[in-house]
Amino acid sequence: MKILFHIVTIFFFTFSLISCNSSNSNSRDEILYWCSNNSDEIIFARNITDRWNKSNPNDQVKYQAVPEGRSSEEIILAAVVGNTTPDIYSNMWQGDVEAYAQAGVLIAFDTLKGFNEFIYERCDSSVVKEIKSLDGHIYQIPWKINPIMLIYNVNLIKELDLIGPPKTYSEVFTASQKFQKDFDNDGYVDRWFGYSEVEVTWWQRFFDFYPLYLAASGGAPLVKNNKTAFNNKYAIEVFAFLQKMYKKNYFSKEKLSARQDVFLSSVTATRFTGPWEIAHAEKFKPKGFEYEYAFMPVPDDHTGPVYTYGDPKNIVIFKTCKDPQAAWNYIKTMIDENGDLKLLSLTNQLPRRKNLSTNNFFNDYFLKNPKMKIFADQSEYVKGTDASPVLKEIFDLISQQYEACVVYGMKTPEQAINDAADAVNLLFLE
Amino acid sequence: MINRKKILPYLLVSPYVIHFILFVAFPVGFSIVLTFHKWNIISPMEFTGLNNYIRLFNDKTFLKSMGNTIIFLLIHIPLQIIFALFLAEILNQNIKLRGVFRGAFFLPVIVSGVVVTILWQQLYGYDTGLLNRLLIMIGLDKVGWLTDPNIAMASIAVMATWKNVGLYIVLFLVGLQTVPTQYYEAADLEGATHTQKFFKITLPMINPTIFMVMILSTIGGFSLFIEPYIMTGGGPLNSTVSAVLYIYKQGFFYYHMGYAATLGLFFAFIILAVIMIQKKFIEKDH
Repeated sequence: MKILFHIVTIFFFTFSLISCNSSNSNSRDEILYWCSNNSDEIIFARNITDRWNKSNPNDQVKYQAVPEGRSSEEIILAAVVGNTTPDIYSNMWQGDVEAYAQAGVLIAFDTLKGFNEFIYERCDSSVVKEIKSLDGHIYQIPWKINPIMLIYNVNLIKELDLIGPPKTYSEVFTASQKFQKDFDNDGYVDRWFGYSEVEVTWWQRFFDFYPLYLAASGGAPLVKNNKTAFNNKYAIEVFAFLQKMYKKNYFSKEKLSARQDVFLSSVTATRFTGPWEIAHAEKFKPKGFEYEYAFMPVPDDHTGPVYTYGDPKNIVIFKTCKDPQAAWNYIKTMIDENGDLKLLSLTNQLPRRKNLSTNNFFNDYFLKNPKMKIFADQSEYVKGTDASPVLKEIFDLISQQYEACVVYGMKTPEQAINDAADAVNLLFLE
Repeated sequence: MINRKKILPYLLVSPYVIHFILFVAFPVGFSIVLTFHKWNIISPMEFTGLNNYIRLFNDKTFLKSMGNTIIFLLIHIPLQIIFALFLAEILNQNIKLRGVFRGAFFLPVIVSGVVVTILWQQLYGYDTGLLNRLLIMIGLDKVGWLTDPNIAMASIAVMATWKNVGLYIVLFLVGLQTVPTQYYEAADLEGATHTQKFFKITLPMINPTIFMVMILSTIGGFSLFIEPYIMTGGGPLNSTVSAVLYIYKQGFFYYHMGYAATLGLFFAFIILAVIMIQKKFIEKDH
């Protein structure tokens, strides 16, 4: 009897482990949509899904926030490995798509009925070109962006007798010099014109080097056809600009993010950030504090529009989806004009669609939220990331040279960009 | 009946065997297989022969991370032993509030490593940190505790010592209390000084404890991860990238699973070699 008990226990244990590995994709009939776990986006997903489910009783959609984890990227990766991906995921970082596309876990949208007409109506051809994978297919729909811009303290800029925020590198240097102060005369600077994390972590460069590079170069790519494309004068100018900011102590080298908000407490006058800062500033700003956004600073000889990084989050359909056409039909309603207006009003995030700032449909929203208007203007000139499965490594290699050159001044900008380019080319050879 | 007797022992050890196979043998075997492959988790594995091993020996950052780990150990272990022994010696005396002090020194051990790290990050702050404020107050220059590549690893070693010293105080206290009091009484009769007693009696008698602390500190030091991960992210200029942090980054930042497994295996052999050398010393001493 005891032996029988042990055998049953072992069998049950083994069976449980085997069942853990089975996919959940076969056990559902409805379409499963994972949205971000940001509370505003959950409300948005509920809103859109309820509307869809009422008018489409045969293609029911179930929304769910992406399960909790250290990052949604890790959760998605785990789901891909475990074959437990949802049908639709709406918070995919553009830079991750190429790796998933090459792994064959995504549905190519351009194979679905009605997609090509839709995408050219929604986006400019440059955006469509940007989201195209290396194999020529499109595995993602541009959904939302949060462009990186220069936030500035209006009162502090006024104190410096400046007409407005600095637009060029020279203007930034002049403003920084005027702003820098040593209040207690101990020989050390107590307030800096700006602040950017000095950490070498690859994604920190989305908030300094990359948007500045896009601004300087008019939206040039970092890599093209598996070759370095950033070994140019623009990247060198950006490194030189930031190097001077650190050398002159206009930017603090210290990690200031662990203390009280340095921008809201007027320790810095500016910061490179996105529209998410508005909600934070409105909640925590001291009395009388005024702030506005401006375009990223550019080299003195710059002409043309000022581009920036848009931090795009896109929508994908995973191959575990049983009915991609139905999933696509649902997505279409999620990103039509009504859906995009809901996205704006519920989450204060911008849809990535052409003519956003001039489209009358969104006029009321921008009248009610004037601080978002500049982001809408900027949205015409944003870039995402280049299609490459090794994008994180590329940013990491740039980041290492950034630290050596910009933060510690151990290399000249030319040398650092050259070394980064060589390392990236080596990466492609591997 | 005979069959039952034969099967029963196997059944009794089966839970451990299953656990061992699933969570030890299989992962170890799988990671050895991985070392000959390129794999990013989502795409199929690609056989690359010895490429990962060749890459390892040419990877300057990994060699630097090994060097950083050794620097950490060279600072951390002596510091740990000296401080722990010194404090244990004091806490072994009949001093007032001895219990309170013993508890206080042990407290950092039970506090989460992340909390301690964030706390020290504030202390080490260049412009606003308490340590630099104190230096300015006494007329000295500020120090880039975490921003100067030549100092950052030493700063982490000091913090790690503060965090762990309580545990080693306890071990040394146990060691000190096993030293027979007759030896000290005899030494007193001979007119030995405190220093003489410490070097001639205490130290030789607690030698096994010292070696145990050395081995534990070495293993703990080799697994240095949380502190640089949170405090510096491995910077400045890779001066605080520990070997484990580098392996973690390769595996879970860039999903170079094959290469991370190769680094892990190589590193495991290094630790094994160091422990074996230490063991030899202990055996020789005994």
